[in-house]
Amino acid sequence: MDGRHGVPTCVADVGTTADDTPSTAPAPVPPTAVGPGLIDGLDEGVVVCDRAGVVRAANAAARDLLPDLRVGEVVDVARCEVLARAVHGEGPGTGSFEAVVEHPEGERHVRGRRGPVLGPTPPPPPEPGEGDSTWFLRDVTGEHARTDTLLAAQERAAFLAEAGRALHGVLHLDRTARRVVALAVPRLAAGAVLVMRHDDQVIWAATELGGGRPRLGHAAASALTRVPRVAAALADEGGGVDVDPWLAEELATLTGLDAPGSGAPLRACPVPVTGVVDALVVLAGPRAAGGDVTDPEEDLLSSYVARAGAALAAAALHEEQAHLGAVLQESLAAPRLPETDGVVWGAAYRPARETMRVGGDFYEVVGPRGEEGRSAFLLGDVCGKGIEAAVLSGRVRQSWHALRLLEDRPARLLPLLNTALLDAVATRDEGPRFATMVLGDARPQDDGSVALRLATGGHPPPLVLRADGGVETVPVAGMLVGGLREARFGEAEVLLGPGDTCLLYSDGVVEARGPGDFFGEERLAAALPACAGAPAAVVCEYLEQTVVEWLDGHDHDDVALLAIQAPA
Amino acid sequence: MTTADDLRIAYLERVAVSDEAGAVAVAVGALDAGVDPEVVLLDVVAAAQREVGERWAAGEWTVVQEHVATHISERVVAAVARHAPAPPAGADTVAVACLDGEWHGLPARLLAEVLTRHGWRVEFLGASVPAAQLATHVHRAGPDVVAISSSLASRLPAARRMVEACRATGTPVLAGGPAFGEDGRWARAVGADGWAPDARAAAAMLAADPEGPWFGEESTEGTPVDRTAREEQAVLHARRAELVRLAAAAVRPDADAVPDELADDLGHLVDFLAAAVFVDDPALFDGFVRWVGSVAIPTGLRLGEVGPVLDALAAALADSPRTAALLRGAHGGLPTPVA
Repeated sequence: MDGRHGVPTCVADVGTTADDTPSTAPAPVPPTAVGPGLIDGLDEGVVVCDRAGVVRAANAAARDLLPDLRVGEVVDVARCEVLARAVHGEGPGTGSFEAVVEHPEGERHVRGRRGPVLGPTPPPPPEPGEGDSTWFLRDVTGEHARTDTLLAAQERAAFLAEAGRALHGVLHLDRTARRVVALAVPRLAAGAVLVMRHDDQVIWAATELGGGRPRLGHAAASALTRVPRVAAALADEGGGVDVDPWLAEELATLTGLDAPGSGAPLRACPVPVTGVVDALVVLAGPRAAGGDVTDPEEDLLSSYVARAGAALAAAALHEEQAHLGAVLQESLAAPRLPETDGVVWGAAYRPARETMRVGGDFYEVVGPRGEEGRSAFLLGDVCGKGIEAAVLSGRVRQSWHALRLLEDRPARLLPLLNTALLDAVATRDEGPRFATMVLGDARPQDDGSVALRLATGGHPPPLVLRADGGVETVPVAGMLVGGLREARFGEAEVLLGPGDTCLLYSDGVVEARGPGDFFGEERLAAALPACAGAPAAVVCEYLEQTVVEWLDGHDHDDVALLAIQAPA
Repeated sequence: MTTADDLRIAYLERVAVSDEAGAVAVAVGALDAGVDPEVVLLDVVAAAQREVGERWAAGEWTVVQEHVATHISERVVAAVARHAPAPPAGADTVAVACLDGEWHGLPARLLAEVLTRHGWRVEFLGASVPAAQLATHVHRAGPDVVAISSSLASRLPAARRMVEACRATGTPVLAGGPAFGEDGRWARAVGADGWAPDARAAAAMLAADPEGPWFGEESTEGTPVDRTAREEQAVLHARRAELVRLAAAAVRPDADAVPDELADDLGHLVDFLAAAVFVDDPALFDGFVRWVGSVAIPTGLRLGEVGPVLDALAAALADSPRTAALLRGAHGGLPTPVA
């Protein structure tokens, strides 16, 4: 081992080898200058070995990477076999290698390359001077390019993720259309217009940088004949294409707004075919942030437009379904109560499936017809819940409306209704559909009282709340309606004095199950006296609230209440 | 010229004797005499209704009387609404809903009428709107703004569900009414975009900025609902009936059956506790505890019973640290019962 070339300390300073230099070299560095040398400032580990493989010098980065490396000892002690073999000339001789080395902080991957041979004369150390500073320069172009690419890709992914969330949170077509243009600006363009054809109408949305809230408009689909280029672009399915200025003119015609981006070049991006809506996104100018529109940006644009198309299609489908539901709901929803002379009405209705507002409970009231001045009423419950029950209840109500024109005596009307329901079921592949109900009519008398005629099948008996707070049950019962052709029904007559109230209710009221028990007829009867003297509407509202509070958030059946009152 | 005060007194007199026709006549007569409809709605009807609430709280009026008064006020609002102008073409739409469990629909109804007069197209969804129904409506009708209203802070967990239903669609939510705290801090806690103390303020805020958010970024009032809040609130909700029984047994061990009024008060106490845990604000619960002791309901919770109830609940809810801390804190703030 040639210890002469070793450096006695861990300081790897090329300057300390200056004692070997010829006399032409500058004077030896004074001892005070011994400190970190040039190679210690390099991030790259530098190991200098002699012919025998003895380490002559190693900088801090090398010692950090290979903690066992010792200056003055053979390189083999560093426990990096690949490096040792390369130094001893035993490797493949390519002058570079890759290795994995053990390290106290975990495995390290090391890439090594053979550097230029140090000449016989090490370079002279610089003359140290007061205020010297040393600079290490590195070309990081590639690194930056990679980082920028990565960040840009992350930013695009984040934009798409956020756009997807925002677009799919909405199921309303107009709002979705607004969002499609709002999200595109400023990330994708300085201005954006969406044109969409759905069924027989055209919806457009437009926004511009700094233009505030997106504008929105509707037109008949026939309006597209005035804008043939827009119509053609709508039918297209290609990616973003530059468009001629006439399209901008046509957009202005359609929307009544200036073309977006005030003269900037436009690109039309038809959304991929969804089968539900045809839509076209027109973007104005380069993105507001500036810069070249590169290929990844094209990908971003088409991904965005595809997401927009999917969201628009989902919203359009939802709108169709919701409209269907709304029309059905409207026809099945609880009716408005008439204003009638001499009788006051009140009602409350709370379907089990609260999102639908319809259910299997129903009531109807029709004001007086003819001279006798009888108002007809009906309250009932068909088996089941939700839309199926609501449709069946619609059948019962329509039958009642028609049949009562022919037969106004409740005790005769109910058997007719029973037959009608059985006949309707017989013509379809349906299981038996039962209903329970109370129907009847109310005739105001000259003395201010109201005479009721009631018929009932399978329904809880009505209650009467007298003006003085007394509560009576009307003793009337009967068999289910729609079950048997020869079913027998109950009938009763009740006279309401001024201020008296007759209450019809569905079994959802008494079977409301709270945390403990069913609400029950007793609680219902006990709640009534407090309502004496209150208008019929208040009686129903108060009872509904009492029942719902009893439920305490638990699921319930449909709840329907109808109050018939003689004015006080 | 009749002042709003005179009108209110005349109106309240009619309401007190359940004279529906008379009350409507006072209001419509004022309109015919040229009084601003907004004054009739807010300074006569709403102001009278507040007095009705006070009379109920003081034990002078029954719940049913209060309902009758509200019913009359509803009829008056309907009569005033018949004079309302149609919204202009292309008007923005606002959906007005009461929180689920808020049965007092009148303040929201008044807001709906006031906003109609300020040129909004209003969809009034009514009292006690379930969050699912609001979500369905927002998806189907796509209103520009949703306004939610409540006077009961115990409904705040429901407010959170409603705000989330709207947020998914990007529809801004303006909260209104005393349920959200004197300064609206709990509106922020449940995620609303703004808060208005009353109908006039709401109309002004919506006129100044129809899109929100109306809360400034800088304010830090009201902490957003966190995980602990949701968990402990859910525990209280699930155990509500059991807690009411347990608290009732603690203060009236000898009673055969718990009187409805006591059960109601204890139920509200648990609801307010849950809401206070939900928005993590002891002031909400302390306020209720002070109030419940001051209300004169014959067989309801008495002032001297509040302390033992809090102790019983704290013992039963020791596993819920935030809840238990709230109960202990409220206990410290109790006024001394007057012998």
